[in-house]
Amino acid sequence: MANPLKCSVCDAVATVHLTQIVQGKVTKVDFCEACAAKGGAGDAAVFKLADAVNAVTPAPAITCPQCGFTDIEFRRRGRLGCPSCWQVFGVALGGLLTKVQHEIQHVGRAPAGTVPVGQLRHRLLAAQLELTAAIAAEDYETAAKLRDEVARITTQLDTL
Amino acid sequence: MSVQEILADENELTHLLGAQQAVVLSTRVRLARNLEGFPFPGWAKPAHRKEIAERCIEALTQLPRFRKSHVFKMGDLPDLDRAVLVERHLVSKELASGKSGAAVISRDQTCSVMVNEEDHLRIQVVKAGWHLRGTWNIAEQLDDAIGATLGIAFSDQLGFLTACPTNVGTGLRASAMVHLPGLCLAGHIEKVTRALSQDGLAVRGWLGEGTEAAGNIFQISNQQTLGLSEDAILRHLGGWVKTLVDQEWNARRKVAQEEGERFVDRLSRSLGLLRHARLLTSAESMNMLSHLRLACDMGCLPEERRHVVDRLMIEGQPAHVQARQGAELDSDGRDRRRATAVREALRDFPEVGSPTA
Repeated sequence: MANPLKCSVCDAVATVHLTQIVQGKVTKVDFCEACAAKGGAGDAAVFKLADAVNAVTPAPAITCPQCGFTDIEFRRRGRLGCPSCWQVFGVALGGLLTKVQHEIQHVGRAPAGTVPVGQLRHRLLAAQLELTAAIAAEDYETAAKLRDEVARITTQLDTL
Repeated sequence: MSVQEILADENELTHLLGAQQAVVLSTRVRLARNLEGFPFPGWAKPAHRKEIAERCIEALTQLPRFRKSHVFKMGDLPDLDRAVLVERHLVSKELASGKSGAAVISRDQTCSVMVNEEDHLRIQVVKAGWHLRGTWNIAEQLDDAIGATLGIAFSDQLGFLTACPTNVGTGLRASAMVHLPGLCLAGHIEKVTRALSQDGLAVRGWLGEGTEAAGNIFQISNQQTLGLSEDAILRHLGGWVKTLVDQEWNARRKVAQEEGERFVDRLSRSLGLLRHARLLTSAESMNMLSHLRLACDMGCLPEERRHVVDRLMIEGQPAHVQARQGAELDSDGRDRRRATAVREALRDFPEVGSPTA
C-alpha cells in the first residue's frame, strides 16, 4: 500500500481530505480526525482554507418565505419544509414530480367540506369524451345524460 | 395505558377465529395528511412539533373510533415497548426512532394514527384477510372526521400536500400482506416481483422497506399517489392481488402434485421441528410457520388452526418475545423462550395429512 497521507497540522495519518479549486488553481489539504474536528487550530492557512470552503458553498436559489426552507435543503433531504413550500418550489419540482409520479394533476379526494375540484375537472374531461363517443354511436339516451352531467359540473366549477 | 395491554388484548390479526384467510394475511390503507400553516415534522422546531402533537392528539381522541384508545408518546416509552409497536406494524421504525412522535391506536388495534412521523398525520387502517373496500371505507371516514376538525393542507392541483413528493396527491398507500410459499417453492417469485414493479407496485418484506421476506411473506403496495383517483389506485392493487392469489394457488397445487409424499413430508417435518425444538431463531420459526400456514390453507391441517400460526408469527418476533417475558433477553434466551411458546401452542395440533384443497 502507498504511504498514507499525513495531517497538514500534526503529521498523524490523515483521514479527512479537502480540495479547493479557485479559478482553476487546485489546493489540497489533509487532516487527521482530531485536527479536522478542531478546525485545524493554530494554523492560519487551514483557517483560510476552511473560510474559503465555506465561502464557495452555493447560496440558495429559492427560499420559502413561510418556513425558511431552501432548495439546498431539499437536495439534501429530499423532503420539503412546509405545505407552502409546494407553491414556492412548484416549478423546480415539476420535473421531479413527472419522474416519481408520472402526473402533475391531483384527481382524487379533497378534505371534508371542500369541493373536490381536481376530481370534478377529471370527471368533466372524461364525461366530454364519453359524450362525443355516445353521439358518434347514436346512443342519444346516454348522450343526454352525459350532456346534463357536463353542464352540471361546468356550473359547479364556474361558481367556485 | 401500556404496551402490555396491546399484547394482552385480543385483536383480529392474532386471535379472531375466522378473520384469517389463505394467501392474504392482511389489508392495509395509509393516508398521509398535514396541518395547514405548520412546518412538516422533519423541519419543524421542537416547540412546533409539540403544538402539532397536542392539536392532533386532542382532535383524534374526540373521535368515536378512538374512544378509550391507546395514546403513546414515543419519548415516554422504553425501547422494548417501541419495538413491539413496530413489530405489530402499529407504528413505523421512523416514528419509533424519534422522540417527538406519538401514536393513537384504537382499542381493537384496527386503526392507528401516527403523529409527527414524516408527515403530521399518518392514518392507518388494517384488517385481517383481504378486505380492500372495507378497509378503505374506514380510512375514508376517519379522514373526513379528522378533516372536519383540523385544517388539512391541500391544493387543487397537487392534492394533499406531504413532506415527500412520493406521497403528494392522494397521500394513499394501499397494501396487501401476502404469503407466497407456492411461488417461492416453484422458483417464480423473482419473475412475479419484476412484473409487479414494472407495473408500478412495490414489493417489500414482512417489516416493510428494506426488510427480508421472512416466512415467504411479502407486502405489495402502490407507488404512484398523484394523478390517479383513490378508486383507480385501489382497483389497480386489487386486480394484481387477485392475479397473485390465483397464481399462488396454481403454484401450490402444482408443487403438491409434483412432490406428492415429499410435499407432505416437508410440512410434517416443520411441524415436528417446531413441536420439539428447544431453541428457535426468529428466521427459522418464521420459515417453519410458513409451512404450517400452507398446511392449513391446503387442508393438510385444520383451517381453524390458521389463526394460531398467524399469532405465533407475530408473537415470535424478538421484541414480542422479550415483552412477554417482561425483561430483555440475550439471543439464546429469546430463542429458548420462543421455542417454549411455539411448543406449547402446537402441543395439541393434529398430524399433517394429505392436501385436500
